[in-house]
Amino acid sequence: MKTYFFLGKGGVGKTTVSAAWSAGLAQSGLKTLVASIDPAHNLGDAFAVRIGDRIMHVGNNLDAVEVNIEDMIRAYLDEISAKMKSTYRYLSAMNIDGYFDILKNSPGIEEYATMEAIKKFVALKGYDAVVFDTPPTGMTIRVLAMPRVSLLWTDQLIKMRKRILSTRGMVENVRGKFEAEVDGERVVLSSSEKEDPVMQELVSYREELRALRDMFSSEQSYVNVVTMAEDLALSETKRIIESLDTFKIRVRTIFLNKFFAMANPPEEIKGKMEEQEGVIKRMKAEIRGIEVKDIPLLRKSPRGIDELLHVYLKYLV
Amino acid sequence: MTALIVLVGAVFYIFFYFTYGKSLERNVVKADGARPTPAFTCRDECDYVPANKFVLFGHHFASIAGAGPIVGPAIAVVWGWLPALLWVWFGNLFIGSIHDYLSLMASVRYDGKSIQYISGELMGKSSKYIFEVYIYFTMILIVAAFMGVYGALASKSPEILTASVLFMGAALVEGQLLYKTKLPFWLSSAIGVALTILAIVVGFLWPFVNVPNLNLLYVLQVIYIILAAALPVWFLLQPRDYLNSYILWGGIIIASIAAVFAFRGFSWPAYTSFAARVISGQPSPFWPTVPLVIACGALSGFHSIVGSGTTSKQLDSELSGLFVGYGAMFMEGMLSTIVITSIGAFGFTVFQGFADKIAAAGFDLAKMQSDAGYFGQVGAAVINSKDIGVGGALGIFTKSFGQMLNVIKVPVKLGETLGGLWASAFVLTTLDTTNRLARYAFQELVEPLRKVSKGLHGILADKWVASILAAVLGLWLITKGGNMYTALWAGFAGANQLLASIAMLTAATWVKKVQKVGKGMLAAVLIPTFVLWVTVFAALVWFLFVIVPVSAPALQVVLGGFVVLMLILDIMLVINFFKSWNEGQHNNTAKP
Amino acid sequence: MRRLLDSLKKSFRTFDKGMREDATSLIRKQLDEEENIFALLTMSVFSGIPSPPTGVVLRILPHMSREISVMTRRSAGLDDMFAQTMGTFDID
Repeated sequence: MKTYFFLGKGGVGKTTVSAAWSAGLAQSGLKTLVASIDPAHNLGDAFAVRIGDRIMHVGNNLDAVEVNIEDMIRAYLDEISAKMKSTYRYLSAMNIDGYFDILKNSPGIEEYATMEAIKKFVALKGYDAVVFDTPPTGMTIRVLAMPRVSLLWTDQLIKMRKRILSTRGMVENVRGKFEAEVDGERVVLSSSEKEDPVMQELVSYREELRALRDMFSSEQSYVNVVTMAEDLALSETKRIIESLDTFKIRVRTIFLNKFFAMANPPEEIKGKMEEQEGVIKRMKAEIRGIEVKDIPLLRKSPRGIDELLHVYLKYLV
Repeated sequence: MTALIVLVGAVFYIFFYFTYGKSLERNVVKADGARPTPAFTCRDECDYVPANKFVLFGHHFASIAGAGPIVGPAIAVVWGWLPALLWVWFGNLFIGSIHDYLSLMASVRYDGKSIQYISGELMGKSSKYIFEVYIYFTMILIVAAFMGVYGALASKSPEILTASVLFMGAALVEGQLLYKTKLPFWLSSAIGVALTILAIVVGFLWPFVNVPNLNLLYVLQVIYIILAAALPVWFLLQPRDYLNSYILWGGIIIASIAAVFAFRGFSWPAYTSFAARVISGQPSPFWPTVPLVIACGALSGFHSIVGSGTTSKQLDSELSGLFVGYGAMFMEGMLSTIVITSIGAFGFTVFQGFADKIAAAGFDLAKMQSDAGYFGQVGAAVINSKDIGVGGALGIFTKSFGQMLNVIKVPVKLGETLGGLWASAFVLTTLDTTNRLARYAFQELVEPLRKVSKGLHGILADKWVASILAAVLGLWLITKGGNMYTALWAGFAGANQLLASIAMLTAATWVKKVQKVGKGMLAAVLIPTFVLWVTVFAALVWFLFVIVPVSAPALQVVLGGFVVLMLILDIMLVINFFKSWNEGQHNNTAKP
Repeated sequence: MRRLLDSLKKSFRTFDKGMREDATSLIRKQLDEEENIFALLTMSVFSGIPSPPTGVVLRILPHMSREISVMTRRSAGLDDMFAQTMGTFDID
C-alpha cells in the first residue's frame, strides 16, 4: 500500500491538490482512501459533498473521511481515565478527573492523536492507497517526527525499567517474590520483563513506533509539499526539506500552486508575475532531486470529482 | 577480675534496665501498648512497617555499634581503666541511654519524624544552612579520624590488613551469591561466613599484604573510599554490611566467653591522673573531655539519628521501645565494658611483648606499671608511637583481645586478627557510607552557588568531584595533622555530642511541654541535658584553646573554624531552648 | 517439649526474616529511588517538568499504581530526608 502526505500552510491549496490526487489514483484503478487530518476540514468542499468522521464512498474506488481529532483526544482520555479509575481506586481521592482535564491540553496530545489517526488508517485492509490532507506544516512535521522522538524516550524508559526489574530481581533472590500493598490489595511486583505490565506496554509501543517510523521513511511513502510561488516560499520549502531530512523522510514533489498565468496581465500584477516566475526558476534550479510541478491560479476552484480529476490530469501528472 | 568486671557490668545494666529504665517508660514516656505506633498508622510497607522487636533490636544495635564503642574506650584507658569504665557505666545510664530512648520515643509520638525535624517544630528552626555545613565537616572529620585509626593499626599489622583485603573479596563474592544467583539464602550466608572466617585464618597464616608506609596506606584508603562509594550498593556495601552483623555478634559472644573465663586480674592502672595526656598528647582533664573520647558506648548523638530516622518507623509497640532503644544502648555499654576489660587485664602483657622497643624509645616500662601518674603522661605516646609499633588505640585493643582469647586456647595472633577484622570491617564500612553522605551533604551545600556561578556549581555538584573532594579533604587533614588521629577523633566526637545535645534538648522540651511529668522525673531528664550541654560546651572550648593551638597550622584553621561553628550552633540551640521553654503550650502535632 | 520446639521454630523464622531484611535493606532503598525517578519522569506531565511525549505516558499510565504511590510517599517525606538517609547508612 502506498501512502501520500500533502504538507503545506493554510490556504496554499493543499486540500485541492490532495483531493485531485486521490481522484487521479482512484481513476487509475487503485482503491483509494483520502483522509483529512487537518482540524480545518475542507475536503467536503473540494468534493462538493458533506463528509463526516465516518469513512464514506465519494466516487468509484474512492472513499473519504474527515477525522475529528478533538473527539479522538477525548475518547483516548476517557478510555485511560476509566482504566485508571478501576486500578487506582484510592487515588480517586486525589481527583483524577482534574488531572485528565490538564492532560487534554498537555503539549503533544494533539500530535499524539493525529499520529494515532494515521496509524489507524494505514492499518486498514482493502486500500491500495491512502492520501492524507494534513494539518498546517508545523504540526505535520512534529507528527512525522513523533515516532523518532517517542522512540528516544521509550528506549530510555525501557532501559530504566530494566534497571528496576534487575534491582527487584536481586531483592527477590533473597526475600522471595516482592509483594506490595497497593490500594488495599496485595499485588505481586514482578521482576521479569514478561510479567511486568509496564515493560510489556513499553515494548509493544516501541514496536508500533518502529513500524510507523519505517513506514514514513519507506519507498511506499510519498511526502509532498504544496506551496505558492512567492519569495518566502523558497526558503520555507528548503527548511521543510531539511527538517524532514533529519528524520530521514524524503520530499518527493513540490507543487507550486496558484501562480498567475495570464496572457495580458494588467500593470498592477506584472511585478508580481515576474517575482513568481523568478521563484519558479530558482526553485527548479536550487532544489535538486525533487520534482517541481507548477499549477496556475485557476479561474474557479475545482468542485466535485470530475473537476478534480481534470486538474489532476492537466497539472499533477 | 575480668570475670568480675564483666559480671558486675552485666548485673549493673540489667538491674538498672528493670528499675530506672522501667521507671522512665512508665513515668516519662508513659508508654501505652494500646496506642498504635507510626509503623501501623503510617504503614507503607517500605519505611513504615512494624518489625519484630528482636529483629529491630538487632538492626538498631548493628546500626549503632561500629568502631566507636571500641576505639573510644581504647583511647580513654590512658586515664586508667576505672574512670573509663565509670563513664561507660554511669554516663550511659544517666545520659546516654536516656538520650537514645527518649529520641526514639519522641519520634514515635511524632509520626516517626526525625529528632532534627522535631527540634525544628519545638524549638524553632535554627539556620538550616549552618547545620548542613556542620554535617559536611563532620563527615570529613569522620573520614580523617577513621583513616587515622585504621592506618595506625594496619601499618603495624599485616595480618589484619590482609584479612581486611580478603574480607573485601569475601563480600564481593557474597554479593554475587546473594543477589545474582538463585542459591538458597542460607547457603549463600553460610558460604559468606565461611569465607570471612577463611579471611581471618589466611590473614593470620600468610599476611601477604604488608604496607608499613602510613602515607601509602592513607592513599590506598582514599582510593578505596572513592571507588567503594561509587559502586552500586549491592556490589560491595550491602553484602559487607550483612557479613558485618555476623562478625559483630560472633565477636561479642567470643569476647564475652573469653572475658568470663579469663579470670585475670587487671594489671593496667586503675587511675592514672585527672589530666592524663589523652588527646594530642595534651593534658586532658577527664571532665569535660571524656565525652570527646568515649562517644558510642556511653553517649552518642548519632544514635538519635538512627533511632529517629529508621527505627522509630518500625517499632511495633510503644512497649518495645525500652528494649530496642534503651536496651541496645546498654548492650553497647556492655561491649565497651568488654573492651576495657580486655585492655585492663592484658594491656600490660602486650606491652611486655614490646619491652625492647619501649626501652629503645626512651620509656620506662617498669615505671609505667608502678607509677600511675607517669603512665598517665606517657601511656598514649607509647601506644601511638610508630617506632614501638603497638598500633594505636585499635592496636592495643586487638593485641589485648588476642591475649584474652588465648585463654580459651585461640592462638594469640589469630585472636588479634579476629579482633582486628572486627574493628576494620566497621571502619571500612563507615568510610564508605560517610563518603556517600558527604557527597549528598556537599551537593546541598553548594546549592546556593547555582545563582552565583552556574559553571562553578556544575563542576562542584558533580558527584565525582563531591566524592573525591570529601575523601581528599579527609586525607589532607590526617596527613597534615601529623597523624594525630586523637585530635581528629575528639573533633568528630565533639560534633557527635553536639547532635546529642540537640536531641537531649529536644527530648527535654518534649517531655516538659507534651508529656507533663512530675518534678522528679523531669529532673531525671533535665539534669542530664544540662550536664551534657555544659560538658560539651566546656569540652569544645577546651579543645579550641588547648588542642587547636598545638595542632599543625593547616589543622588549626580547619579544626578551629569547625569548633567555633559548633560553639555558635551550641549557643543558638540553648537560646532557642530557653525561648521555647518559657513559651506556653503551643501548637504541636505530638500526641502525649 | 513440643512448646519448646515450636517456639524455637518461631524464633528461627523471625531470625531468618530479620537476616533477609538485613541483607537487602540498602537495595530496597535503591529500588525505591529508582521507582520514584521512573514515576517522576513519566508522571511529570502532572507537575510541569519536561516529560516524555504524551503518547508514551498514556500507554503506561494505567499500570503505574505502585510507582505513583511510591512517588507520593516520597514527596511527602522530602522535608525529613537527612535522618532517614543517615539511618540507612550505618555511620557509627
